[in-house]
Amino acid sequence: MSVHASINDLVDDRPGDQAFHVARRAFTDPAILDLELSHIFESTWSFVGLTTQIPKPHDYITTFIGRQPILLMRDGQGHVGCFLNTCRHRATIVCPFKRGRQKFHVCRYHGWAYDSAGKNTIVTEMDDGQYPPSFKDADRNLLRVARFENYRGLLFASLSADVPPLSDYLGDAKAFIDLVADQSPVGELEFVPGEITYTFDANWKLQFENGLDYYHFNSTHASYVDILNQRAKSGTSGPLPQEAPDEMEGQGSFSFDHGHAVNWSIKRQSRYGRPLVIDPAYLAELKARVGETRIKWMLRQRNLTIFPNLQIIDISSAQLRTWRPLAVDKTEMTSHCLAPVGESAEARRVRIRNYEDFFNPSGLATSDDNVMYEFCQTGYEAQAGNTFGHLRGLANGPISPSGHAQELGISPVESAFGKPAFGGETNFHPGYREWRRLLQRHVDGGADA
Amino acid sequence: MLERMSSDLSQRKQAAEAILFLEARYLDDKEWDSWAGLYEPDAEYWAPSWLDEYDTADDPNTQVSFIYHNSRSQLQERISRIQSRKSITALPLPRTLHVISNITASEGENDLIVARSNWTTHVFDPRAQKQHLHFGTYEHVLKPSDGQLRIARKKIVIMNDRIPSVLDFYSI
Repeated sequence: MSVHASINDLVDDRPGDQAFHVARRAFTDPAILDLELSHIFESTWSFVGLTTQIPKPHDYITTFIGRQPILLMRDGQGHVGCFLNTCRHRATIVCPFKRGRQKFHVCRYHGWAYDSAGKNTIVTEMDDGQYPPSFKDADRNLLRVARFENYRGLLFASLSADVPPLSDYLGDAKAFIDLVADQSPVGELEFVPGEITYTFDANWKLQFENGLDYYHFNSTHASYVDILNQRAKSGTSGPLPQEAPDEMEGQGSFSFDHGHAVNWSIKRQSRYGRPLVIDPAYLAELKARVGETRIKWMLRQRNLTIFPNLQIIDISSAQLRTWRPLAVDKTEMTSHCLAPVGESAEARRVRIRNYEDFFNPSGLATSDDNVMYEFCQTGYEAQAGNTFGHLRGLANGPISPSGHAQELGISPVESAFGKPAFGGETNFHPGYREWRRLLQRHVDGGADA
Repeated sequence: MLERMSSDLSQRKQAAEAILFLEARYLDDKEWDSWAGLYEPDAEYWAPSWLDEYDTADDPNTQVSFIYHNSRSQLQERISRIQSRKSITALPLPRTLHVISNITASEGENDLIVARSNWTTHVFDPRAQKQHLHFGTYEHVLKPSDGQLRIARKKIVIMNDRIPSVLDFYSI
């Protein structure tokens, strides 16, 4: 069987025949992970950081795209650059720290130095090095990533030049980044200090799916739902957002080009509070600025997934999480508490408490998800044929008319809406279509022929 | 005089050691209610995140923590979640073993005792047949109350902060 046919077989995408299946092997085969790392993670846009993480000249952060080490720096002129964190001399990482401020990064191995614009400023003992003449004219600067762009302060990089402009890549998913960023009086986002890193022993696509999976909430998080109910009963929940009486309750999703999707819900009475409703004066000011419709959406649960590895969850707090696969059955997560720049101290305090309450391996909800992924990973090893895991919502066709998209002025490629217990799964489909497209592109390109 | 001071110091250390060891035993024996009973009703329980390679968060209201609680009832919420048998993190519960050493005790204001110690927790998950180890430092603020010491504040620094899957009060 050719690689092409093999990849094609991994996603059985026939919504017209009421079929959508992802092969179990997609979650368990190390050879597929290798292809994913090269042709998805290292070949498409990846979120790498926020501009507000490096606000001053010479500020830097380090991260990874797939397996490759990345250094983001703001140079002396204030321009942000994104580089491969590898010395041009002998491959050493030039910056071993998570974050900081330095005018120069000196490779500790042989002392080559680079400035904050990535320019190679020192080759130690160059004159005595008996280098060939071509060396002196060679570009020895840190290598820039192929593409680097910014949307609302979210920095994205691609190691492949063969990607659309970021704005086109994000498409109408941008509206859901705006709904978070526009909560700030200055329209900017920042991370609350304190990054949390954790791992789970399961395939990364379980995290990709979970962020879009409304269906699991009441069962996986039953113990957390009990706690929310108990807090409501004892009056310790704080002010809770409410929907207008004429809004139909329900659960929906929008899917966009390139695999992005968002799921959301409309609940008459939210079970958890939000930083925005802590501060009625600011909420009124915000309403005057952004209007009734957008405020309504800002107060709704929205789980946004930007393919392949960014999720922004705006519920009782806001979380920005990314992941990178370490093995086919091991994933490293990086989680940040995401916040509008300029919110009140009390709103910030509530945001942080709510974030810790829900998210991370130490939170009362995410910890259950992590264990559930491991249960799935073990279960996917069973040679038990197709699952029924991607079928909810398939009866309705790609667009279920609900008027919600028009309200937001967006044109999603698919949209779904149902009763509060709907929990549609069709919003996973575009991600798998993009997944297959990127893997097949590589095969069609003949790199592996 | 010196003898008297030394005796006070040793008594403080003994008292601190007793409650730290009792806390560890309750956690490992899964006697959660007795464990929570060691805490004052308005106790602060704090496991800060790390800001970078060197520093942990120092302000829970502007920085992220792994866990920040400021009442015993919030610890009891975590206990009820585990006991409900509805959280998959507790089905089955991991076996844990706390080891505490290097205890020092000093006198704080108002008869409080401030105890610093080093801790390790060995965690074995019988489902996954996997084990991991967490380690760090504790700072307990202990308060005499009804003839016994109770925990008024506990700060837990987790040195190895890349967390495998689940972190809860019993694993740190």
